Amino acid sequence: METTIQKNGNQVVALFKGRLDTAAAVTTAEEVKPLMEAANSEIILDCSQLEYISSSGLRIFLSIRKEAAAHGSKVIVRNISADIRQVFMMTGFISLFEIQ
Amino acid sequence: MEGLDLHCQMLVEDYREAQPVLERMKTEVLAMLREALDRNGLVVTAVEARVKTEESLAGKLALKGAKYATLSDITDLVGARIITFYTDDVDRIASMAEQLFDIDWQNSVDKRKLHQLDSFGYNSLHYICRLPGYEYRFELQLRTTLQHAWAAINHDTGYKSGVEIPREYIRQLNRLAGMLEMADDEFSRIRTEINDYRRRVQQLVQNGKLDDVLLDGDTFRSYLQARPLEALNKRIAAINQAEIQEVPLIRYLRVLKALGCETLGDVSRLIRKYEDDAYRLARHQLGNTDLDIISSAVGLQNICIVCILSTGGGKIGLERLFDALNGHNSQNEALAALTYEQASNLPFMNK
Repeated sequence: METTIQKNGNQVVALFKGRLDTAAAVTTAEEVKPLMEAANSEIILDCSQLEYISSSGLRIFLSIRKEAAAHGSKVIVRNISADIRQVFMMTGFISLFEIQ
Repeated sequence: MEGLDLHCQMLVEDYREAQPVLERMKTEVLAMLREALDRNGLVVTAVEARVKTEESLAGKLALKGAKYATLSDITDLVGARIITFYTDDVDRIASMAEQLFDIDWQNSVDKRKLHQLDSFGYNSLHYICRLPGYEYRFELQLRTTLQHAWAAINHDTGYKSGVEIPREYIRQLNRLAGMLEMADDEFSRIRTEINDYRRRVQQLVQNGKLDDVLLDGDTFRSYLQARPLEALNKRIAAINQAEIQEVPLIRYLRVLKALGCETLGDVSRLIRKYEDDAYRLARHQLGNTDLDIISSAVGLQNICIVCILSTGGGKIGLERLFDALNGHNSQNEALAALTYEQASNLPFMNK
């Protein structure tokens, strides 16, 4: 699992690559910390190369959303696969995130 | 300082020396006001403060400098202003200020009470306040947004700058002041009525008279406070021993209306009618996964899915549901097809 963060003006993009499972979650949680500090930004969680998301991964996404809201930022989940969209739906989180 | 006599020039010199103290006082007053507003849950249009500029002070001294023996006789070197939405809030914030600061009642003015019965004009509450540790007093102005708009426009016309303007224009400005005063009162009255309506709705919800309550954003929120979906969500959470994350459900309001719910009674019946099948759907979807976190929306989401499929809405109905919940997206069609397929073996589809 690899997470790359790029800042582009008012936008912060996190690109997730691989499987965000329980084992990868600890490292990923560390890697996304800069997102939590981004104030008044648009945070894009680019999932185009994300193959799988576990509950731990969902918790990371929820933390990002919570911190972003506290800092006046907005989170957009982008390019999720059909499988991951289904995970968002089955758990009832589909109405919480802006998914593009 | 041109044109000022020696006494006034000395006051300006004192002002220059006092500026750091005045700036500190301004910052402290502003912080105290913001903190107190927050603590009292008072939402306002603006909270602002300023230190009087040297130019403005010189102008004041040129007009009435002899009135001030020392700099501390001038009460508006620091000025703070709170602009409220409603007239009632001016009084609420005045009480708050009375607890925060020592009020110099002799010099404080409630301009709202100064008007003659047959005149209108500037309405505002001016408190002259003391803050412990400072020798200078400061002025706190409290006014509504409409009063502020009138005062700002009136000031822009030059009415108070000493420039003579025809009486007809003054009359027109005062006419507007009267109209804005009426508008302020109306806004306050409407807010009171809305609050009464909310209390009545809560009472009806508490008494279970759900058929008497039309479904709208306010009533839906009141209804959700009774946690009508908690039992279903807990059943679903038990499938994988999952934790439940609370999320807002307001997006479902539009969906419930589209499903024909007109009153809270309709929503309640919808939940009761479909909750078992909603649970079965969740068990079918989550049972084969190790997902141990769900949102508090999952129960209502599944109720909507079951309702759509049970009433022949099919894949298109589901696609519309996901569009409503998540915005229109080309992938919603595939998600609708997958959900339809998952549900196809469940009993409610074959009734």
